[in-house]
Amino acid sequence: MTATSQPAIEVAGVSRWYGNVVAVNDVTFSVQPGVTGLLGPNGAGKSTLLHMMAGFLRPSSGEVRILGESTWGRPDLYRRVGIVLEREAVYGGLTGYESVRVNARLHGLDNPHEAAMRAIELVDLGAAKDRRTGTYSKGMKQRIKIAAALVHDPAVLLLDEPFNGADPRQRLHLMDLLRQMAREGRAVMFSSHILEEMERLGDGVLVIVAGRLAASGDFRAIRRLMTDRPHEFLVESSDNRVLAQALLGDTAVSGASIEGDRLTVRTDDFTRFTEQLPRIAQAARVTVIGLSPLDESLESVFEYLVSR
Amino acid sequence: MIPVIFVLTLRQLLRQRRTLLLVLLAVLPVLLATLFRLTAEEVTPARFAANGLFAGFIVNLVLPLTALVVGTAALGQEIEDGTVVYLLGKPLPRWTIVIAKVAAAWMVTAAVVVACVVASGLIVLTGEEGYGLTLAFVVAVLAGSLTYSALFVGLSIRFGRALIIGLAYVFVWEALVSRFIPGVRFLSVRAYTLGVADGVTDVPARIFEASLSPRPAVLLITILTVLTTAYAIRRLNAYEVSERV
Repeated sequence: MTATSQPAIEVAGVSRWYGNVVAVNDVTFSVQPGVTGLLGPNGAGKSTLLHMMAGFLRPSSGEVRILGESTWGRPDLYRRVGIVLEREAVYGGLTGYESVRVNARLHGLDNPHEAAMRAIELVDLGAAKDRRTGTYSKGMKQRIKIAAALVHDPAVLLLDEPFNGADPRQRLHLMDLLRQMAREGRAVMFSSHILEEMERLGDGVLVIVAGRLAASGDFRAIRRLMTDRPHEFLVESSDNRVLAQALLGDTAVSGASIEGDRLTVRTDDFTRFTEQLPRIAQAARVTVIGLSPLDESLESVFEYLVSR
Repeated sequence: MIPVIFVLTLRQLLRQRRTLLLVLLAVLPVLLATLFRLTAEEVTPARFAANGLFAGFIVNLVLPLTALVVGTAALGQEIEDGTVVYLLGKPLPRWTIVIAKVAAAWMVTAAVVVACVVASGLIVLTGEEGYGLTLAFVVAVLAGSLTYSALFVGLSIRFGRALIIGLAYVFVWEALVSRFIPGVRFLSVRAYTLGVADGVTDVPARIFEASLSPRPAVLLITILTVLTTAYAIRRLNAYEVSERV
């Protein structure tokens, strides 16, 4: 759909602040056609960034361009851009079909009926198209929003947390749909705070933390970076002292401490540690009762990425 | 695109409960007119219709309240519930959105208020002196409802609490302050509306006379309509969709 020489989306030195609060801080990246995930914890600035890409917010500094054109104050650009925001906003008094057709008419399409029907089929809502959207479940509302965004066959699709509220089957269906759109040459950018969604869908990923771009590139490389960071585990065993001694002899373990009946183990090699722990415990004749990560929150993963 | 947005807005406005409440409000003058017909004897029908019913009740209360509720909802409701992104994310100049919204708000407000004027006028003035008052006030409320609609649509883009600000304008500025400061009539849609009615009607001044003469009233109501519409367009052009929207 887009020429490969020109990035579909370019974000150049973009910042956005509200009074003294910096929501997005000097972010620069460019995106080619394909699926790109915008990953980050809640409040990281993903939505602000997407709103600026959508031309709904003016950057305080820097510029956002889509298909070579600045996004702020350029309504003509919406002929080639489809937008799905996170908020559950639908025209509750209209049926699913009517609300997608209204969007088709607002785009000035020649055959709004046909375009609406095609978009509704794409999101698999044909059976519910004549129901008022006010009666839809959260997942159905999400899908009708996506249908409205696809009705004019856009070259660039921006989606803010598109899988919110969708059940697992719908989620897979939507993921397939977005992958198919990317295969057709579109640039699909979606935001999420869920790592698994990125893993399943994002070819490329941009990690946003505290308004800054913390990492970008191939998802697998970033995932590896996340996995290989130092981890801390709380281990419960039949003999913490013996197990700690045995673990310290392995290269995967960088430290161990015992406080009361708590054994905390630090490792720099997550994969090796998880493989070696049962073997080491068995060799030391210690029974491992429990193993739980101490720093597995997404925030701590992101903090690590930022600190690198 | 204006007709698409216009029809969409009409559908949204007409399914709101508060629009039904406005219809109930508009029935009140009709009830008053009926009561007058059944009971009053001291006041002439023309004086009652002009000053009590049309100017006193409809222009003072029904018109601004209806325009306020409808005008602030026409676009304000979409801003509040987030559906405004479906309009803003389309290849449309934003002025088309404002024009469609003002037109829809005007149509609903005018339909309610004109029906109210015609029905109560028919009851009080049929076969009486000053029958032309009804037509004069129909023209006046058509003009007034357009100006109020543009004003309240503009307010709803600028302020999240446009309804409260609009209430303050109608009941404090137009109704209260204008009593003590005569110059306020130059900054009052209510005074302009009455001035327009005065210009159209052929009844003598002893029956009805507006505080603002027709010529400045027509001029000011036109200027204010243009200015408030231009303001609404300017605000919407600069409007940013908050993440919380």
